[in-house]
Amino acid sequence: MPFAPLDPLLHNQLRLAVVSLLVNVESADFTWLLEKTGATRGNLSVQLSKLKDAGYIKVKKTFKGSYPNTSCSLTAKGLKAFEGYVEAIKGYLEQ
Amino acid sequence: MDTEMTPEQSLRLIQSMIGQAKRSFSRVSFYFLLWGVLLTLAMLATYFLRDQPGAVGQGAPWGAAGVLGGIISGVRGAREGRSAPVSNPMDGLIGWLWSSFIITMIITIVLSVTSGRDPGPMITLLTGIPTFMTGQVMRFRPLILGGIIFWVAGTAMHFTQDALTLTLLYCGAMLLGYIIPGLMLKRQEDAVRTT
Repeated sequence: MPFAPLDPLLHNQLRLAVVSLLVNVESADFTWLLEKTGATRGNLSVQLSKLKDAGYIKVKKTFKGSYPNTSCSLTAKGLKAFEGYVEAIKGYLEQ
Repeated sequence: MDTEMTPEQSLRLIQSMIGQAKRSFSRVSFYFLLWGVLLTLAMLATYFLRDQPGAVGQGAPWGAAGVLGGIISGVRGAREGRSAPVSNPMDGLIGWLWSSFIITMIITIVLSVTSGRDPGPMITLLTGIPTFMTGQVMRFRPLILGGIIFWVAGTAMHFTQDALTLTLLYCGAMLLGYIIPGLMLKRQEDAVRTT
């Protein structure tokens, strides 16, 4: 049986970490994602932009008190892509 | 953190991140400690003032504890809600659970007092529900046991009229159901914060 192709957008450590974190929360701040992934600000920003451009996440820029705040949440498309990725990974592991 | 991964590494990463997100509950230990201490003091005050006439010996300590705890909890909850870095659906569930408990508790107190019954045993029994459920949702065993202790204490309180026994049962339940789990949870929250 041929292997199912892995979504190249999710087959990247930082992007996969972000999506895995967002699966179980309604939304998460940029700083929280930074803390949990241990990534640098620049790298996280770049990867969030890629996920946003693909329609996998929604990025909302607001203010918390007088400070700007960026929060992210997973879209239905992102959730479907994540579920597909997990299924594909399972397929590889079962071979 | 942007190298290629094997399927095993992907799966481990997913499991690790999902585990971290699941542990991202708001800091709730403060509320268990606050209410545990306030309600224990209210019960002790009620016991020592039991011979005082009127409101001083009856509901005043409970009213004072309720108003003080309500204001502190409300202010802290609003502040934490605004600054929370992550919105977890389970936080919302726990919040609604405790809100429904408070409404049920107020109705129970009013109905019991107006019909001349002591609301203590019923309130203690009811306290077991949100405590037990919070423990289950957070997978925190001390709170699960705390909920069971409230059920046991509430049932025992139903069968006694002795003021000292009632006081000991209630304060013991508060200590084992709120204060000790609250301290253990605080230690866990502090550890997560520093890692």
